[in-house]
Amino acid sequence: MTERSNPTRRNDLATNEADLVAVSVAGHVAHPGFPGLPAEPAEPYRLASDGTPFLLPTYGGIVYNVSVGDRAFGWAADCIHPGVSIHQPDDNRNRGLNVFACVGNRAKVMTGGAAGTVGVVTGKSGRFSEQLIVHLPVEARTSMAVGDQVLVRAEGIGLELTDHPDVSLKGIAPGLLGALRAKEEDGRVSFGVVAHVPPHLVGAGLGLTSQGGSLHIQSTDRAQLAELGLDQLRLGDLVAFEDTDSRYNHGHLRGARAIGVVCATDGPRAGYGPGVAILMTAPGEQLGSFEAPEANLVDLLGIED
Amino acid sequence: MSESLRWNFDDLVEMAVTGQVSQPALRRGGYTPWPDGRGVMLPGMSGIVYNARVGDRAFGWAGDHVEPGVSIANADEQADFALHYLTCIGNEAEVTTGLARGAKGIVTGEHARLLVDFEPEVLEEMTIGDTVQIRTRGRGIRLEDHPEIEFKKTSPELAEAYGLTLEHGKVICPVAMELPARIMGSGAELNAEFVDQDLMSGDRALMAELGIDRMRLGDLIGIRDVDHRFGRSYRDGWAAICICIHGDSVMTGHGPGILTLITGPADRLDFQIDPGANIAETLGIRSAASSGSSSVAMGDAATGGAA
Repeated sequence: MTERSNPTRRNDLATNEADLVAVSVAGHVAHPGFPGLPAEPAEPYRLASDGTPFLLPTYGGIVYNVSVGDRAFGWAADCIHPGVSIHQPDDNRNRGLNVFACVGNRAKVMTGGAAGTVGVVTGKSGRFSEQLIVHLPVEARTSMAVGDQVLVRAEGIGLELTDHPDVSLKGIAPGLLGALRAKEEDGRVSFGVVAHVPPHLVGAGLGLTSQGGSLHIQSTDRAQLAELGLDQLRLGDLVAFEDTDSRYNHGHLRGARAIGVVCATDGPRAGYGPGVAILMTAPGEQLGSFEAPEANLVDLLGIED
Repeated sequence: MSESLRWNFDDLVEMAVTGQVSQPALRRGGYTPWPDGRGVMLPGMSGIVYNARVGDRAFGWAGDHVEPGVSIANADEQADFALHYLTCIGNEAEVTTGLARGAKGIVTGEHARLLVDFEPEVLEEMTIGDTVQIRTRGRGIRLEDHPEIEFKKTSPELAEAYGLTLEHGKVICPVAMELPARIMGSGAELNAEFVDQDLMSGDRALMAELGIDRMRLGDLIGIRDVDHRFGRSYRDGWAAICICIHGDSVMTGHGPGILTLITGPADRLDFQIDPGANIAETLGIRSAASSGSSSVAMGDAATGGAA
């Protein structure tokens, strides 16, 4: 069995990794759908932020030509999940999958034409989709079918930074945590991120759970995005949300910070934009971030294809 | 109100929708977390709320998402969407069953349920399950000479009560306070015709600094740099006028419910602070006697609301 991800250890942060319990969670490759929701107008159209109806591929399914590491903007799509999206039809079990699986955990295809192929969890999605996003090799995807079972070795819930108890870790695998560029200064721990998102561009996901799910960067104001360079983000990039408290739900708090990974592409709907799976948060100065343009999952986890 | 504002009132279709007085319900587990995770169990949503009424304070209740007055819903999903999408703030409601049959009320908000204000003595006669019928009118409302400005959930009565004025081609709406775009939270994932978007009150010091904690239920609210036409998102050079429909929340990303009423480009739509911009007064919902007894005196709110 080939490991598809080989994270390199880049920090010596003390953790309770030795106490973590690794548990199996499984999901099935999701079929794309067009649910009629209070958030959406008449099927099958959705509305762009200017009211234009659009019909574009959206979350779910096996995505053959979008992978972690690719650009997050410019696709003819609405919040596409790169790679393969899995879920459980039962809400309770799906919550188990979405919450317990951590970004950086190993995933393995258990049934179908690509059985035995190993991949890695790269993100999650929230309200109205609630899927787990898994990177699998492009070639393996061509042998897969909707409904195939993917098993995740879930390990990371309960993880703590021993010397930084005010930093809450949210669904990050210990291997990924160890691979991050980090600095410790005056009791504060900081991590390298590609970009910083100001609080007025934090969007869908606010007020919703921060155990699983995602938080979106708002992309309606294109000029703002370009000015901040956010339109250059790639899938897998680490980003920091400023003034954002993600301990229990996501919300505004001056001085708070949430760091996550871009896990879904941009989309045209108001309030939406690239989806970010939150990996850690703190209510104040206990958590910092610094510019690190190379902070992408492909590099951090050594994802091969 | 200016003579030169021409509405299309005569073209609006008036139609009845109904809902039933809801029973409060709790999620399995029941707890609602504060930002630090501490769980609490609080009343607020659904049912008949006897002692929180439009015009009263939005903050400080020992409750979560307090829905003033009577909360009604329709058990049929499609009918319930009609209740949500056709009803406008200021529409007249009437109790059609039970001891309070014939009593009249006024729609003051739309949350997961529709919120209707009745006089306190009417509440005493009402029960869970009573049917309330609303004469909906306001969908499609517009100002004939200002097509760039979009009105949502605005009844003709509310349109008159806004007190809109014209200045150099701009429509100006009095609001009780202004909110900064960066604190607009839960509801960002929904379309802007459905329910509200909570302001995020988790930064309690900020609430006090900006005077936001003096907000009252029914206050008109102005927000700059947001586009609320087809969702609620940040957009430089746009503006929205909203109304506070429900009370504060302990939950991160939540707070008083801010429902969109008007949105448009900032060179066409603007607002000015007027502490009296609350529908309890402007729609004449509460008599001077009853609103005088509320816990926040009239004219006392929102003196420091500018961001």
